[in-house]
Amino acid sequence: MSILEVRALTKSFGSLVALDRVDLKLAEGEILGIIGPNGAGKSTLFNLIAGLERPSAGAVYYRGAAISGLTTDAVCRLGITKTFQIPQLFPRMSVLENVFVAGLYGKGVSLGPARYQAETWLEFVGLADKAAAAAETLSLPERRRLDLARVLATDARVLLLDENMAGLNQREVAASVALLRQVRDRGRSLMVIEHIMRAIADLADRVLVLNYGEKIAEGRPRDVMRDPAVIKAYLGEAYT
Amino acid sequence: MRFLSLGPGEVAALLLLLLLLLFPAAAGAYQIRLATVIFMWAALAGSWNLLAGYAGAVDLGPVVYYGVGAFATAALMLRAHLPFLVSLVLAGGVAMVIAYAVGTPTLRLRGAYFAIGTLALAESAKQLALAWDRLTGIPLTGGSAGVSLPLSAGYLLFYYVMLALASLVTAAALWLGRSKFGYGLRAIGENDRLAEASGVNIHRLKRRVYVGSALLIAWTGGTAGYWLSYINASDFFGAGLTFQMVVMVLLGGLGTPFGPPLGALFLTLAAEILGTRFVYHYLIAIGVLIVAVSLFMPAGLAGVGRLLRSRRAGVQP
Ligand SMILES: Nc1ncnc2c1ncn2[C@@H]1O[C@H](COP(=O)(O)OP(=O)(O)OP(=O)(O)O)[C@@H](O)[C@H]1O
Ligand SMILES: [Mg+2]
Repeated sequence: MSILEVRALTKSFGSLVALDRVDLKLAEGEILGIIGPNGAGKSTLFNLIAGLERPSAGAVYYRGAAISGLTTDAVCRLGITKTFQIPQLFPRMSVLENVFVAGLYGKGVSLGPARYQAETWLEFVGLADKAAAAAETLSLPERRRLDLARVLATDARVLLLDENMAGLNQREVAASVALLRQVRDRGRSLMVIEHIMRAIADLADRVLVLNYGEKIAEGRPRDVMRDPAVIKAYLGEAYT
Repeated sequence: MRFLSLGPGEVAALLLLLLLLLFPAAAGAYQIRLATVIFMWAALAGSWNLLAGYAGAVDLGPVVYYGVGAFATAALMLRAHLPFLVSLVLAGGVAMVIAYAVGTPTLRLRGAYFAIGTLALAESAKQLALAWDRLTGIPLTGGSAGVSLPLSAGYLLFYYVMLALASLVTAAALWLGRSKFGYGLRAIGENDRLAEASGVNIHRLKRRVYVGSALLIAWTGGTAGYWLSYINASDFFGAGLTFQMVVMVLLGGLGTPFGPPLGALFLTLAAEILGTRFVYHYLIAIGVLIVAVSLFMPAGLAGVGRLLRSRRAGVQP
């Protein structure tokens, strides 16, 4: 059974259909890449799954049970959470406390273990030396790593990463790909929105392509990237 | 781990508490009365700070629970002939029930909407209290004439009850600084959407602190009513009380445990020195002070400005 399933998920903003009857399945331990042009509905898909917005139609199932209608915090405690395209933080808390709060409430552990686990996750993402700094002092790449440490600390099994590599240089992207593989090895299933094709090709087991809210392709990365419809809608002539 | 150890501020506060317990033995009636006023304001400002300073919700209607506490305590003493402290405890329960019912919908409002909503609520509560006896036929608030209570049992009782309330509120703030609940509130105050996405049930946590703060305010109101032995709805539901709580917290330090008592001490003494003969000078002085603090110590006031500005509804991309 897939850990996450989305059926005919639809979201309209007024007359704009941001997401149009999208179906998808995420297997346990899988990394599913989500690509598509700007405004295709990628972030909207994540917001619907994580409970930040209500679907106009369709449903989301986690381990077979419908979760549509649950609040974001309940979805998180159940096992699905996301990072933000514009990385979010608790600005005047320390970097450690940012991760600590996610352990306290997302995972539901008490102060001692939450602190210890937060330290462990900061080490994992390479932010241990910044643990005591105020979160608002972090650079953009550091904020993205903090966001990752935070979702890991919630102990959610399904992580939705919204452009967690945007703004990173080539070396940082390679490091991030390696890190996300390790995340998967630690029992997480991932959905990853990225515009960086190299990263998606390296990382994803499967790729799903959105265009104007519709799923236009789905499959292994190299097959999808050769798909004429995908090239036309998103990758463009330059890529071929 | 420093969860169980006491910091220097807490040790100093405990020593101060010890001194204050003994203070009446060495002081005259005037000093004791003045100290009681300071404790009262420390309790009120501190209660407001629990919600605004930690969870970031600017409540402009805390005075509702001050009035509820005063009138409920009075009613229980006068109609049910219960002793003061019993009436006070029960009045706190009444306030909690009302706060739960009121907080459930209003705490879903964000930022300035919550501030405006609670302000409107407090004004409505005042009008309702003024009209209560006429509307319901149940004597409770005495309309605009108010209610008189039996002359009270001497000023020492009030000194110690107000001291206990101020200490309780300060201890609650200290606890918030190091407890799981407090971290959850601070997360809500700093970024409520992110807190929610990290698993914090923001509505439940905010409602808990709102109900707790209402309880402490109601106890303070109930004690103040008996102390003054005369209460009326215009005073006990008046927005001026809210204004003073807010000013004291902002002057002392929003979101800090010792800020509200310091603000209460400072403003009460200022009012005592400047205020009795020069009420208007006092108000102007407060205004000037607020402007000065916000200009020269922006961090002291930045909190509320940021809260009111930064809360746009909607989901982050
Ligand atoms: N809250 C909203 N209200 C109105 N329209 C919205 C809202 N959120 C998203 N949209 C619109 O829905 C469409 C899909 O947006 P979405 O953010 O999901 O795109 P995206 O694929 O993540 O794009 P990008 O690559 O730029 O991040 C866009 O046209 C966007 O303007
Ligand atoms: Mg997006």
